[in-house]
Amino acid sequence: MADEKEKSKTHKLSLKGSSKLVAEFFEYSINTILFQRGVYPAEDFSPVKKYGLNMLVSSDDQVRAYIKKIMSQLNKWMLGGKITKLVVVITDKETEEHIERWQFDVSYPPATVDPNTLQVQLLSKPSKRSHAQNSGDKENAALDAGQIPQEKTEKEIQDEIQAIFRQITASVTFLPQLDGNCTFNVLVYADQDSDVPVEWGDSDAKEIKDGEKVQLRGFSTSNHKVDTLVSYRLAD
Amino acid sequence: MAAVSVSTPIGKPRGVFNTQLAGGRIPLTPSPRSSPYTPPRSISDRQISQPFATNVPHLRSVSRTHRDSPKSNIAKTKNSPKQLELGLSNWTLTGTGPALAQTPIRKPKTGLRPRAKNTIRIEAGDRYIPNRLASEGLHTAGLGKPDHDAKPKSSGLGSTILANAALDLGATSAEDDVIAALDNLDIQEEDDSRKKNTDNAYESSLASACGMSLNQRILAFKPAPPESSKPIDLRTQYNRPLKPANTAGAQFRRRVLTAPERVLDAPGLVDDYYLNLLDWSSGNQVAIGLERNVYVWSAESGSVNCLLETTPDTYISSVKWSGDGAYVSVGLGTGEIQIWDVEEGTKLRSMHGHDSRVGVMGWNKHVLSTGARSGLVFNHDVRVAQHKIAELVSHTAEVCGLEWRADGAQLATGGNDNLVTIWDSRSLNAPKFQKTNHKAAVKALSWCPWQNNLLATGGGSYDRNIHFWNTTTGARVNSIDTGSQVTSLRWSPHYREIVSSSGFPDNSLSIWSYPTLVRNIEIPAHETRVLHSCLSPDGQMLATAAADESLKFWKLFEKKPGTPSLSSRESTLSGKGTEMAKQMTIR
Repeated sequence: MADEKEKSKTHKLSLKGSSKLVAEFFEYSINTILFQRGVYPAEDFSPVKKYGLNMLVSSDDQVRAYIKKIMSQLNKWMLGGKITKLVVVITDKETEEHIERWQFDVSYPPATVDPNTLQVQLLSKPSKRSHAQNSGDKENAALDAGQIPQEKTEKEIQDEIQAIFRQITASVTFLPQLDGNCTFNVLVYADQDSDVPVEWGDSDAKEIKDGEKVQLRGFSTSNHKVDTLVSYRLAD
Repeated sequence: MAAVSVSTPIGKPRGVFNTQLAGGRIPLTPSPRSSPYTPPRSISDRQISQPFATNVPHLRSVSRTHRDSPKSNIAKTKNSPKQLELGLSNWTLTGTGPALAQTPIRKPKTGLRPRAKNTIRIEAGDRYIPNRLASEGLHTAGLGKPDHDAKPKSSGLGSTILANAALDLGATSAEDDVIAALDNLDIQEEDDSRKKNTDNAYESSLASACGMSLNQRILAFKPAPPESSKPIDLRTQYNRPLKPANTAGAQFRRRVLTAPERVLDAPGLVDDYYLNLLDWSSGNQVAIGLERNVYVWSAESGSVNCLLETTPDTYISSVKWSGDGAYVSVGLGTGEIQIWDVEEGTKLRSMHGHDSRVGVMGWNKHVLSTGARSGLVFNHDVRVAQHKIAELVSHTAEVCGLEWRADGAQLATGGNDNLVTIWDSRSLNAPKFQKTNHKAAVKALSWCPWQNNLLATGGGSYDRNIHFWNTTTGARVNSIDTGSQVTSLRWSPHYREIVSSSGFPDNSLSIWSYPTLVRNIEIPAHETRVLHSCLSPDGQMLATAAADESLKFWKLFEKKPGTPSLSSRESTLSGKGTEMAKQMTIR
């Protein structure tokens, strides 16, 4: 029993760590989008080494404070597992039309394996992960190692995240040119029972009408899976 | 119907698992997944979830009962867009193939499939919340699970393993059963979900979830994001070097004398940001307004003369030398403007028109532009009796900054309404540009001596920014956040630099390189805020007057012998300066 308790403890920790990692990913994502899409001038950003990349993070006090406010709440929600989507909407200041929408889907499946390996699993053998975890059955654990998200090393996760940022950066090549006169909003899809501070209010989805959508990569940790999707207004 | 469907699964071990699957599945697949992968996942989830079914799914399903309603609606609405996404996304960046796999998978059960999907989505919002009810419901369903839940997990292993095996074998066939069951549930939910609650907690929870939907809300972070500090041209952005220009090595920076060359007392200098009480003539004389007096200090001889004293009911609000250095115009608190011949020490004329104090003036040959507290700017032709030749209406609050471009083609004014207005001297009926970027009064204005259409403007305490404008296009080309009130700006004619004087909190002088915007040096100049500044006619010396009632002279732009300076070009531009340079001294 004691053993089991300990197990559950470590599991909790990893959940916390995973939430933190996802939240951090969001923070860098927001910064990257603001930079790449020219919501704020390039000079307002300074490079920071992260995920093995030079991430550009806003150095503008106001923007930083704004993002910090968002992140502090996001962290809480992430920890509580209250969030299923984070959306960054880029809006034209003049027409107030939503012209770009970056959506990060968070899922909390125990089976957070990317679809490819899932297919493999389907065909070859179903995962027996739950036993392995609960019983501490080393044999099974070893067998399933490849398919168990927990076994993913930090390096692998970082690589996945890195790939996403590379994609976001690369996506400017196919996204329409923005005229630089844009602003942004952050939306969150939260559970009904979430605590909602006053700064946050109900909103529509700010979807892009007749938008083109492009699925980008995702990453997963032991407790979270994050998928990235950008939708944008088609050039006229 | 529902009861039947439920009962069948109970009978067989497989059936049991199927129901479990259904239950487990629902919570496992998160509703908001918009990815093209969804279909494959749901399948995969099913299989994966089976092993898990014993633990996790139950817990989740419980939560469902609490949060009944509105989820399903949202989930459904989302379905359609997602499906669209699938098609679209295939061709682009997604490297994974699953999207393709989706269609074949769906086909077999076209009718049933979608519904199952819906239910899955609905549940997705709930997670990790342990729930008594749900587990009970499972028990009633007669599954093998109850045992598992009740017992310590280690003991339950055997059963789960069996379960898994059963699942593996029957997964495909079971699927149909599950779907059928779900179908039934959906129908029933319409009728009466209450009945079944007692029978089957799982069903009821599912039904209620289906019926009411929406366990989720979309929240927006309401505060408006900060404005971007300047217009952005993305095209230049992609070519940007990673290192910001600010890191340009300190070794290239010029050495600047940081001690004042000379300090004079300026007793009675009015501590008012909106006035302009200091000016240095092309004849190398400094005029300063101290309360009711205007003094002229000759930089060459070091002598001081009191030029005039106003009547006791008013005070000097602005002082400006004419371009030839022969006359000084004096603005008064009453709105009167006097023009004095300095050589003679006599008043040439008074010009009336403003009904409030004249805080700023500027000469363009024979035209004197005056800005008043009313927000109006008048142009006076000082040669004629009917002196007022234009009324420039733009500002709604006190005008405190005004500068003519060296060639007289444009006029820039700044006011307490935070506005920078740029006028074309050929059409003064309407402003050429009105710039609202500053967030505080704009007193500091300066035209670049080497680039005609470059204007620098500095904002007050709440703004603290220097903005640089292309006055041909009206575009903002650069910005500096100085960190303190900008009280004046002066371009160096010799270096590609601009000096700004600061009020609270720094009370300093800063020299900035342009266009790199690197701060070359910051000199703690005065005890209190620097109110006014002006450059000597040779462009080497800056005079500053501060609220500490002192007038200081700084050799900021010293010309080094042998260093090529920009002045040759500037002298042609400004017409003054170089011939002055050699003889100019301060005594």
